[in-house]
Amino acid sequence: MATRLMFENSCEVGVFSKLTNAYCLVAIGGSESFYSTFEAELADVIPVVKTSIAGTRIIGRLCAGNKNGLILPHTTTDQELQHLRNTLPDQVVVQRVDERLSALGNCIACNDHVALTHTDLDRETEELIADVLGVEVFRQTIAGNILVGSYCAFSNRGGLVHPHTSIEDLDELSTLLQVPLVAGTVNRGSEVIAAGMTVNDWTAFCGADTTATELSVIESVFKLRDAQPTAIVDEMRKSLIDSYV
Amino acid sequence: MPRKPTRHHRLLPVQPLTFSPFARSVARVATAYLVKHYLRDAPLKSAGDEFKEKLEKVDRQSESSEDEEFDGVVQADFAFFDPKPDDFHGVKTLLQSYLDNKQWDLSGFVDLILGQTTVGTVVKLEDDEDNAVFSVITALNLGRYKDHKCIAELKEFLLNISHEKDKIGNLRSLLGDKAQNVGLLVSQRVVNLPPELLPHLYDALFDEVSWATEDEPTEDMRKSFHFKFYIVVSKIYKRKNANQKRPSTTDKDEALIYIKPEEEILHKLSMWSFLFPLQTQQVATHELTGIVMAVKAENISSFQQQLHTLINES
Repeated sequence: MATRLMFENSCEVGVFSKLTNAYCLVAIGGSESFYSTFEAELADVIPVVKTSIAGTRIIGRLCAGNKNGLILPHTTTDQELQHLRNTLPDQVVVQRVDERLSALGNCIACNDHVALTHTDLDRETEELIADVLGVEVFRQTIAGNILVGSYCAFSNRGGLVHPHTSIEDLDELSTLLQVPLVAGTVNRGSEVIAAGMTVNDWTAFCGADTTATELSVIESVFKLRDAQPTAIVDEMRKSLIDSYV
Repeated sequence: MPRKPTRHHRLLPVQPLTFSPFARSVARVATAYLVKHYLRDAPLKSAGDEFKEKLEKVDRQSESSEDEEFDGVVQADFAFFDPKPDDFHGVKTLLQSYLDNKQWDLSGFVDLILGQTTVGTVVKLEDDEDNAVFSVITALNLGRYKDHKCIAELKEFLLNISHEKDKIGNLRSLLGDKAQNVGLLVSQRVVNLPPELLPHLYDALFDEVSWATEDEPTEDMRKSFHFKFYIVVSKIYKRKNANQKRPSTTDKDEALIYIKPEEEILHKLSMWSFLFPLQTQQVATHELTGIVMAVKAENISSFQQQLHTLINES
């Protein structure tokens, strides 16, 4: 199920949070309702951790992670690193990387198997990503944008990319990632997908401005709805057929 | 790297950061040379012309340089447009901190502004693919929109933040029984928007208000633009320790610094006003405070005249 929420009047929930299949990071500050919305959805399943990175609240854009690990920029303080190591599950490897491009969330998009990265990322960082996150790394662009981490969001079940992505690019990416992809928007026409929403295999959180159409696209491409397609057809059949002759 | 020879005719950047009289005189000195040679005023269109005015680009001599260094000179062609649904994101970004950091129906508020195409202006660049919004101005009738969630939240915010007992009665009546005749004057812009645009922007707004009183399709809508009062919610800088007696050498340090120049005039003409504390960060010597002012509609023409004088002389 996809949930709509706001962080302090901003609809960019993907900036202030990071959601994976094993944990969820949430920025400090803002009203408690932001944190409690995540808690309500996720509390029993995965830990929801409040943190800052490099003293800032834009944690979603600074770090990259999946169920295997979390990669932090070199600007992360030692206390933050320790806090994350303590609160995240033991199987999650937390690693700080010395990379010039420190907004890792903007440069890396990943799920539990594949990662897409900025074309100018260091070779060592690429190896570290493959190691820590346990993924296959591809250097890609999305609709001509090198900040792949900003313009697409994908989970193990589906992905949403920049609305101007061409069909050929969409097919190519879909083959690389091995998940169905759709080009769309979030937050009422915003192209910065990953800033406007955050998603894992069973739930998604979107900005409050997201329209009903956008939300239904998100729910269908990430397969967040519980019902199987055949069940929907059966239900429709019941309502369509008035009487049996 | 060899130092570039200092060019003596290149003076301080033109835009004053703030609009206190001291800052204005500094800016005046800096611009005196540039203004004489480069500034071209837009020819004013006739009063009956309902199309938006375009301000001629402020031509600054762009200095040719071998390297790509940005020398601070930009050519810009600003145009005034009616609000359109496309402008949603730009206007929303400008109004992010309108009510401090209160969580309210900002999207609904922006929708109201964009829905009112007859009164309201959005300043954008001519032929800009990015559709970037540089400024928005509008007047919303508080009575007409009283059922909208955003207006109700705004009223509640204003009533909660006013701590001065004498003003709260005035405020309550303006927001309550007199709401049919009260316009919320919303004006927000990027910090470095050329001040030359301001008189035209306000003229355009008040012209549209008067045209709307004649041109709107229904009687109710026509009446809704007969504003008797305008309410302005904004932010100014107030000097900390304003009560301390300061020696004359530090006279330049003003008690109140207006981020937008027209607010100084509005403040002088206002019936009443009050300040309220903000939750956002503070600058060293001055404190960012919120201000709410109520201005009588009959003082608006005087305001427009004073704004013209203010901008044209600086």
